[in-house]
Amino acid sequence: MSDGRLLTLILIVVGISCVLAVALIVITKIHRRSAGDKSRYLLSAYRNELIAIASDEDKDGDAKSVLNAVPMPIWERLRPSVIDFLPKVRGTAAEDLSALLRSRGEIKRATEMLTSRSGVRRARGAYLLGIVRDRNLAARLIPLLADRDPDVRIVAARSLGVIGATTAADGILQALRTTRRSVGLPAWVAVDALLGMGVGIASAIETGLTSDDAAVRNVCAQVAGHGTIFSTAPKLSILLATASEGEVRASAAMALGRVGGANEAVALARYTNSSEPAKLRRTCAVALGDLGRLESLETLVVLLGDDDRRLAQLAADSLVRFGEIGIAKLSSVAVGDTPSANAARGAIDLAKLRGQISHFVGDS
Amino acid sequence: MTEPVKTRILIADDDKDILDLLVFKLTQAGYEVVGVNDGMSALAEIEANPPRLAILDFMMAGLSGLDVLRKVRANEMTKDLDVILLTGRTGDSDVDAAFATGANDYITKPVSPRELLHRVNALLARGNK
Repeated sequence: MSDGRLLTLILIVVGISCVLAVALIVITKIHRRSAGDKSRYLLSAYRNELIAIASDEDKDGDAKSVLNAVPMPIWERLRPSVIDFLPKVRGTAAEDLSALLRSRGEIKRATEMLTSRSGVRRARGAYLLGIVRDRNLAARLIPLLADRDPDVRIVAARSLGVIGATTAADGILQALRTTRRSVGLPAWVAVDALLGMGVGIASAIETGLTSDDAAVRNVCAQVAGHGTIFSTAPKLSILLATASEGEVRASAAMALGRVGGANEAVALARYTNSSEPAKLRRTCAVALGDLGRLESLETLVVLLGDDDRRLAQLAADSLVRFGEIGIAKLSSVAVGDTPSANAARGAIDLAKLRGQISHFVGDS
Repeated sequence: MTEPVKTRILIADDDKDILDLLVFKLTQAGYEVVGVNDGMSALAEIEANPPRLAILDFMMAGLSGLDVLRKVRANEMTKDLDVILLTGRTGDSDVDAAFATGANDYITKPVSPRELLHRVNALLARGNK
């Protein structure tokens, strides 16, 4: 075969392939649009029933009966809408939607999906069991915290947080550890999940504060602070004083601002010293404002003149949060053209704009 | 015989599911309910035809519920409107911001339709005294 004929043949083959590819794309798009239209039509036919259940207005159970009787091919299209609604409501409405999913066999199906070979299916199953918020299902989800797929571990942790399963607290802390085989759970996922579990996890958090893993200590410090677990204050003080990781110390300082007392105010003031790392000093300045102990006032006033101007701003903001007495301190410093005066004036002006100090300082 | 005038409530939420269910719930409870899906429309509706109560989603694209509330409180014609903020956030600072801006109440998402109805009834009853 001559070169010219071969070239022509190749061009014809490429041309036909292009035409087939375009045709395939067009057919797929038409099919998807038609399926979407059909779904929307079917959904609109049952939307009122779904809204009635989700708004807790299906008193006689008519809407539930209608959706329970929907043939399976239609239910397959309706299911995503029901699942979308569930995390948006709580109370009886959520219980009724969960009951609908249960009676349609979705909980059983989701439970079976947890052992699927596909990570996507395991994650979907874990998500559904989470939004149903049934504590009895927590035991099925806990093993997934050690799943080989990191996305599945994340979904399982979040679901356990939504359920509020305190029995999963240790498992979530374990999942934070990074090993040679797997990367640990992201800290924000763990913090969010643990906070969702309430005060029942206090002992797990206290134990976690002395863990040999920095990620675990860091998350426990954050949860102790955001969850205001007061019993953790002594261990947080030790962490602030002894941890070798800057992030862990900063988390401990932040937490002490929420759960500490007079002793912790002294410790926080000590770590605003210029020999400490900038991040820790700034966190301590904010924490002193959170704590609101009068003995911290002078420390914060001194920080107004610090070379770290961000630290000075944060100290000024903390003084604003003390209320009248803090504003009075700022006003007494806000004279002249010194760095302290500038920081004080900036905080006062900002607080006026926010409407925080109109009661204390006039505009005159 | 004329029908009694229904109390008018405005709901603004950019989540269609939430908007639909709240409109349905409060309509079933006997209120006249107007639903809009963004802050600008909510503000326009409040200024054009002030409702008795507005339920505003905290986080909406464009004008947030908090922004709408600020403008409502700054307007002499609408400053006394009862407002409930609907929020997915539960942080203290957001609650502080809501009350500091002048919200009468707030409700967190996920929403309990029953709780919302109780709060609406209670708020309106307080206002009627």
